[in-house]
Amino acid sequence: MTTYILRRLLLMIPVAFLVTVGIFVIIRIAPGDPILTYAGEDPNPETIAYVRAQLGLDQPVPIQYAAWLSRALQGDLGRSFQTHQRVTEAIIERLPVTFELGAAALLISVTVALVVGTISAIKRNSAVDLLTTSFTIAGVSFPNFYLGLLLILLFAYVVPGHILPPGGFTPFSTDPWDNLRRLILPAITIATASLAVNLRQVRSSLLDVFGLDYMRTARAKGLRERAVIVRHALKNALIPVVTIIGIQIGAIIEGAIITETIFFIPGIGRLAVQAIPSQDYPVVQGVVLVSALSFMLSTLAVDVLYAFLDPRISFGGAQA
Amino acid sequence: MTEAALPVVIRAQQQTRASSLRWFLRKNPRMLVGMVLLSILLFVAAFAPIIAPYDPIKVTIGDALQPPSFQHWLGTDDLGRDVFSRVLWGSRISLSVGVISVSIGFFVGVSVGLLAGYLGGTFDLLAMRVIDALLAFPALVLAIAITASLGPQIQNAMIAIGVVAIPGYARLTRGQVLSVRSREYITAARTVGVPPFRLVLRHIFPNIANALVVQATLATAFAILAEAALSFLGLGPQPPYPSWGQDINYSQRYLANMKWWMSAGPGIAIFIAVFTFNFLGDALRDALDPRLRRSG
Amino acid sequence: MARRFSRVLAILAVLALVLAACSGTPTTGGGTTSGGKPVYGGSVTFAMNSDISNMDPMLSALFVDRHLMYAMYDSLVRVTPKGEIIPWLATKWTVSPDGKTYTFTLRTDVKYHDGTAFDAASAKWNLDRYRLTKESQRLGELASVDTVTAVDASTLKVDLKAPSAPFLSVLVDRSGMMLSQKTVEAGGADFTRKAFNAGSGPFILTEAVKDDHYTFKKNPNWWGTAANGDKLPYLDQVIIKPITDGDVRLTNVRTGQVQATNAVTGKDVPTVKTDTSLVYQEIAGIGYASLVPNRTAGFIFAEKRYVQAVSYAMDRDELLNKGPAQGVGVVGYGPIAPSHFAYDPNFKPFAKPDIAKAKQLVADVGKGPLTFELLASSGDAATLQFAQLLQSELAKADITMNIKTLLFNDIVALQQKHQQSGMTLIGWSGRIDPDGNVYDFNYTGRPNNDSGYSNKDVDSLLDQTRTATDQAKRKDLFLKAQQIFVVDDPARIFYSFNAAQLLTAKAIQGFEVYPDQLPRFQTVWVQK
Repeated sequence: MTTYILRRLLLMIPVAFLVTVGIFVIIRIAPGDPILTYAGEDPNPETIAYVRAQLGLDQPVPIQYAAWLSRALQGDLGRSFQTHQRVTEAIIERLPVTFELGAAALLISVTVALVVGTISAIKRNSAVDLLTTSFTIAGVSFPNFYLGLLLILLFAYVVPGHILPPGGFTPFSTDPWDNLRRLILPAITIATASLAVNLRQVRSSLLDVFGLDYMRTARAKGLRERAVIVRHALKNALIPVVTIIGIQIGAIIEGAIITETIFFIPGIGRLAVQAIPSQDYPVVQGVVLVSALSFMLSTLAVDVLYAFLDPRISFGGAQA
Repeated sequence: MTEAALPVVIRAQQQTRASSLRWFLRKNPRMLVGMVLLSILLFVAAFAPIIAPYDPIKVTIGDALQPPSFQHWLGTDDLGRDVFSRVLWGSRISLSVGVISVSIGFFVGVSVGLLAGYLGGTFDLLAMRVIDALLAFPALVLAIAITASLGPQIQNAMIAIGVVAIPGYARLTRGQVLSVRSREYITAARTVGVPPFRLVLRHIFPNIANALVVQATLATAFAILAEAALSFLGLGPQPPYPSWGQDINYSQRYLANMKWWMSAGPGIAIFIAVFTFNFLGDALRDALDPRLRRSG
Repeated sequence: MARRFSRVLAILAVLALVLAACSGTPTTGGGTTSGGKPVYGGSVTFAMNSDISNMDPMLSALFVDRHLMYAMYDSLVRVTPKGEIIPWLATKWTVSPDGKTYTFTLRTDVKYHDGTAFDAASAKWNLDRYRLTKESQRLGELASVDTVTAVDASTLKVDLKAPSAPFLSVLVDRSGMMLSQKTVEAGGADFTRKAFNAGSGPFILTEAVKDDHYTFKKNPNWWGTAANGDKLPYLDQVIIKPITDGDVRLTNVRTGQVQATNAVTGKDVPTVKTDTSLVYQEIAGIGYASLVPNRTAGFIFAEKRYVQAVSYAMDRDELLNKGPAQGVGVVGYGPIAPSHFAYDPNFKPFAKPDIAKAKQLVADVGKGPLTFELLASSGDAATLQFAQLLQSELAKADITMNIKTLLFNDIVALQQKHQQSGMTLIGWSGRIDPDGNVYDFNYTGRPNNDSGYSNKDVDSLLDQTRTATDQAKRKDLFLKAQQIFVVDDPARIFYSFNAAQLLTAKAIQGFEVYPDQLPRFQTVWVQK
């Protein structure tokens, strides 16, 4: 097990390298000049040339990358062109926000999937089952940015009382109730897309498990249906669910990007969406590096969890 | 008429094939529904210029912001254009982006996966690291970055979405190749001396084709959503050509003024198109993979 | 003889300026007290349409930065809604007869929020910092300054290289903002984002969360007073929030989360006007919108008749009323705004679209129909709506305009190198003195001259506007130049002026709308 973890961690290094080189090159392809844009309304050629030299942007790309990499390894991700804030600081400020949003979405998605999926598996092929299967596909098909917009409007103009505000963010430490209030709509928006997949996964793995031998044994032993389900089926059905959660982490980051933009949540996603078109190189590079690392670490965590849940899994060979 | 001229053996084969298709559809009613939906979608996309009642690009500022009526089934947008016509024409862009980007992902991803799975060794190691790197990128960020760098035009959106789709195919193909490669009939074929190319094409590929088709259908659904998302962020196909995501982006500022029809049209259209491909892919998966049929 | 006459004129002009500066006790603005007697206390949340870039006037490049700066910093002079320059940190000033030396008398009762005192040495430090630091964004504005001297604790002398009529107006804004040396130097590179206790203004910055909010609390030791003698400011707290989306911004105002904003989208204006819980004010602004053709040799629009053709074919009324602005703003033909002293309301060269004339001009050139490319910023719904409307208008005159969308950054880069093949859409937020709207944009080789325009007569006229001290003469020169760079040999196509808006909740009093659109919070109070 430890060798497996070590191997995975080692493999993360070349991947991270490829990721950073990739984004470094991609964002520099654009013909625009970020310094010019950030010079704003009164561009002074001397100022621009001076600033460009300061930031090392007049150097060839490989040298720029080497400089960035050496500083990044020391923990310095540079400063944003636009706000002059240290990128590390910006990320530390915003990562917990996205994390909270993602966790809320994951919680909603998994809980609803477990409950409805279980019911759906038990009452297989009934009206409930059919409804949930259709809802499954419908939920995945509805554009989540549009859903977000509709939810904002619903609670701003249709539902009286302005109980759920149109976005924004209050830190948990300042006002916990307001913090949660503002996260509900965006979390629902993100959860809807992944809910469908989770629901299907719970349902099909439960159905798989229902037919297995040890289930029959449990029933033969005379255990009540509910006990059978809870004790044996659910525990084993959780394995594929854990895998799904692992994959969903990627989807949740995606959802967070768009949702943070619509709901004005100061998270990592929104930072990236703003920074890319405006060519704020240090921010883009920093954010991509951090999200790639988080993604890889979380998939590793999920895989390890998977192994703990199911001792039959071995990690010797190449995985597909 | 032609049938009578054919030799009996072939005719029998054809009849079995035709009736087997009918049998197939009857056993999987959801496939039938999916195929019907898809046909409607393709029909609309192909014949939009003929079906659409108005010119989707012509600006008639005097008619701006009209709610749905008999003349304009889905009302008009802020430049006086018929929303219904724009939705119909938009299907061409959304579908072509979906199909082309998935094709890019398919060809590149499957090729890489086939080569990696078959050749193994260093190539496999390197190729899989690149694929891992692509996967580690948040897909939307990568798509945004590529489109932003190459320029916000429709072709670049296609490339971006295609690139994002590559890892899925590569991994799937490689996995399938690895599992099929060790099977007996493959070893047998190799011993006999069948050249690798034909081996791959004739023996390996057909076995993984099912999974790939399912993936392709589902990926098209994702691609249409991705194009809408990119357009919503302002990075996809640009005006005046009608694109669903872009029209939602364009008209979202009127939602607060209760002018809902401008975004409802494209929104529902995206939903229908994506639903069709998801539904079809789901039905295909159930139909083609006997293992899963139990739970359906 | 002529020289003595002009010298007399100059002295008279200087006297006029001095008298204007000395008259009356320096007040810090009137404010409309419509709802009774002002009360102290309360908090106002204000929404602006974009997040700031930084809080250091030296590096600031965005219009929205100034929202915060006017609250927490004081400048040497300020401006009234009518455009008159009034004393602020400088109580009076004199200009030498040759127009090259300005002597300011400074207030002696001003302390920065960090406790250090404001004096001439501090003023000198600030001005030198703005005009000598390599990465300063204020180099262009202060280019005419030669030396700055602190004569004594309350007297500041500025020597210019050449007389510059717009010099005083530049000190109203960022170039004249005074900061505490101690705090700026202690802040280092992080100062631009955490500018706490650096200013001397009516409000002290206490919290800054990027993209979310900026909180200010009352400066109890501020020196300013209202017209009726009240000590200012009234408010205990001001919160400024950046909200980029127009709908979200409006929703926040209507639900009471935000009490004031200066950016209301055109389509929402009718709604807010009928909302009895809100007060909407709108006056003509100083900013303008324009189409910028590339007039350098080798490009389509090097041919001036093509530019004129487009200008004649455009329907400016339709663009303003039916386009994204939805009637908010004023139709314009040049860059000199209605609130500028040099404005000529009778200057209407393209009052109605003249399709026949446009066609004639294109035919005269004799190279077939006109086809060109307009670069528009991608993803900006309002700009794209505008572009498509314009496209349909030009099509009536057989002019084909193709819309090409690029990222904003890319457009800026192309424009800077004068590489745009056709036209771009660029506006200007506006400056108090017409020079700020005209000089850098139409003078040969200046950085903001995005069209690559060059006309010797215009150059010479504009140079004269800088050296002339008589306002009437300057107006005459500006109008002569405008006739050339708008009609005879167009540098750009101007089509509208923005509107300065202010939307407030009913309980908010004393909030005045200024042509530069910036909020002044010191006179604001909340009705209980």
